Amino acid sequence: MQLSTKHLLGIRDLLPQDIQTILDTATQFKEVLQRPIKKVPSLRDVTIVNLFYENSTRTRISFELAEKRLSADTINFSSSGSSVSKGETLLDTVNNILSMKVDMVVMRHSASGAPHFLAKHIPAAIVNAGDGINEHPTQALLDAFSIREKLGTLEGSKIAIIGDIMHSRVALSNIYLLKKMGAEVMVAGPPTLIPKHMAEAFDVKVEYNLKKALEWCDVANVLRIQLERQNQVLFSSLREYNLAYGVKKSMLDNLNKEILIMHPGPINRGVELDSDVADSHHSLILQQVENGVAVRMAVLYLLAGRGES
Amino acid sequence: MLILPNVTLMKVLLQQVVINDPRSAFHGSTKDILIADGKLLRIDDAIEMADVRTINVEGAVVSPGWVDPFSHFNDPGTEHKETLESGAAAAAAGGFTTVFVIPNTKPAIDTKSTVEYIAAKSTHLPVSILPIGAVTRNTEGKELAEMYDMRASGAIAFSDGIRPVQSAGLLVKALQYVKAFDGVIIQVPDDTSLAPHGLIHEGIISTRLGLPGKPMMAEELVVARDIKLARYADSHIHFTGISSPKSIEYVRRAKEGGLKVSCSVTPYHLFFCDEDLLNYDTNLKVNPPLRSRNDMLALREAVLNGWVDCIATHHQPHDYDAKVLEFEYAKFGMIGLESAFSAVHSVLPDLSSEQLAYLFSINARRIFGIADAIIEEGSAAEITIYNPDESIKFDKAMIQSKCHNSPFIGQELRGKIIGVVSGIKTSFTHSR
Repeated sequence: MQLSTKHLLGIRDLLPQDIQTILDTATQFKEVLQRPIKKVPSLRDVTIVNLFYENSTRTRISFELAEKRLSADTINFSSSGSSVSKGETLLDTVNNILSMKVDMVVMRHSASGAPHFLAKHIPAAIVNAGDGINEHPTQALLDAFSIREKLGTLEGSKIAIIGDIMHSRVALSNIYLLKKMGAEVMVAGPPTLIPKHMAEAFDVKVEYNLKKALEWCDVANVLRIQLERQNQVLFSSLREYNLAYGVKKSMLDNLNKEILIMHPGPINRGVELDSDVADSHHSLILQQVENGVAVRMAVLYLLAGRGES
Repeated sequence: MLILPNVTLMKVLLQQVVINDPRSAFHGSTKDILIADGKLLRIDDAIEMADVRTINVEGAVVSPGWVDPFSHFNDPGTEHKETLESGAAAAAAGGFTTVFVIPNTKPAIDTKSTVEYIAAKSTHLPVSILPIGAVTRNTEGKELAEMYDMRASGAIAFSDGIRPVQSAGLLVKALQYVKAFDGVIIQVPDDTSLAPHGLIHEGIISTRLGLPGKPMMAEELVVARDIKLARYADSHIHFTGISSPKSIEYVRRAKEGGLKVSCSVTPYHLFFCDEDLLNYDTNLKVNPPLRSRNDMLALREAVLNGWVDCIATHHQPHDYDAKVLEFEYAKFGMIGLESAFSAVHSVLPDLSSEQLAYLFSINARRIFGIADAIIEEGSAAEITIYNPDESIKFDKAMIQSKCHNSPFIGQELRGKIIGVVSGIKTSFTHSR
């Protein structure tokens, strides 16, 4: 088993069989993670740098853990306290790191397309850990893995992605992935937070009414309000956002079916998700985090060429 | 270091060239042209002459000298990107005998002294460089600059260049102000309050690429608004870098209504569309942005229909460090003088040679009131010599600009520049 691409820049570039391969490989790694000894020697001779130009807690820890479980050597880099604050360019930083013989780069960056830029200029394999408002492919893969685990399949399942679609790389990667795997997708949220050309660009449903979105879907993937990424006034207050688009326990209780609630984290409790929803039996949030490690192990393993028989 | 321009004072004989000037009695005929003392001395079937530099290139066509009404030469201020010398060399290589330089320099071209600096530094260069004066001080869009004084010192037109005037109140005053001396205001139509962080055209591609989009409306609103302002002020406005078919329609209707409104398009809006951005090529990051394929095709159609007055290169040099970056951080703009003609000619092969002469020269000369450069005996020599049929592979060796931020590098194009003559100055890329 191997992937059709050298890098994981986005779900956009993956074939459906690539996605299938990653999810199947992740299933095997999830089993490894249940063992008393959670470590395998697969990437023993591989050095990976985690390059975080933007803050991250769960993604960074998850990648680091995945790398350690695979026995890779890891280096961590964050832009604060580094030569970036002295004005070094991305390309210079990465080339300096690569000259110390690094095999793979896991990068998070605030500019859309930054990993694509890097891929054009350096020889190492690149894993996109989130670029601007473009993609966050491993998040989409772990979301898909979690849905598949619960529903058995992605094909034909109805997924509503709710909230700040415009500033969300999670939304874009999820849409690419779910459409490639035959799911039905709806995006829901306030019109100021949904790109104007969403429906034409992706063949997805667009809904501005939260209740209708919840009634339609099997799974609601509720996104974080990206307060840090909004440079314009797109809604009047967090209070009003919660009134119109916050998912509340009473709404779920009034549905005539059980739906699953997902969230990529970190949650703004009381804004997009009320606490009693986040902590309810509907919630897949902690399973998502657990699956994240297995999915990232699968991605690193396959990109390192270890899937070749 | 002093860069010596490619200038010669000797006589030049152009042999067997096709004359392309719809206003000339020689239009369409194949002639020899003798050039001396900055004049077209003789035009005849065959001229015998010793002691002349002879240019004889199969398929050569002569047009009134081309004019680029919107180029950035970065001088003074950011001379590592371009200087008046390197810009002039780029213009000559691209077949232009006259270039308007935009005022987004440091300091801005917003006083008589900067206008005079450019005029004084350009006298020995192979092409005419005409400064566009700023509409507002330091192109900040706040207070009117001394346009009367700049006009008297040689400013060809007025514009805030790549920082277009946003305030309607200020622009209407500027339009009224320049009317007193038949000035023209040039605007890049862009309402910067709409999607101030937009990087590419807002549409399907921007949505799929996860890049902040800039709606076409940001351009159309300004075109519609400024036409109203020009009507109110009874003054002349010229839009440059138009990319929206709707903008073209507004301009067309304004012209039908007798208003003094005209427009330019860039070669790149005719050649590329947003689909070419799928690989995040920063050389294609421009403002106004590359539009959808259908818009690009509609723009080509508009040029063919004669609804566009001029081609403007929007030549904007950027060094490696300003372009080889994450897409978001890369600067807007590409160089364009050297590739302009070949790019336009390649995507619009059906454009007649007469239309080319109007688009590249005659219309700009009329709109901005510069010497008409008619090809007749005794006229001032102001000509471009080109071969429309020769194919080229555009490469770095053809670039005279200090910067290489061109997505045309590597493209197979049709049309090659042979040389330019501007008064007593000649530059040939191809001679025998």
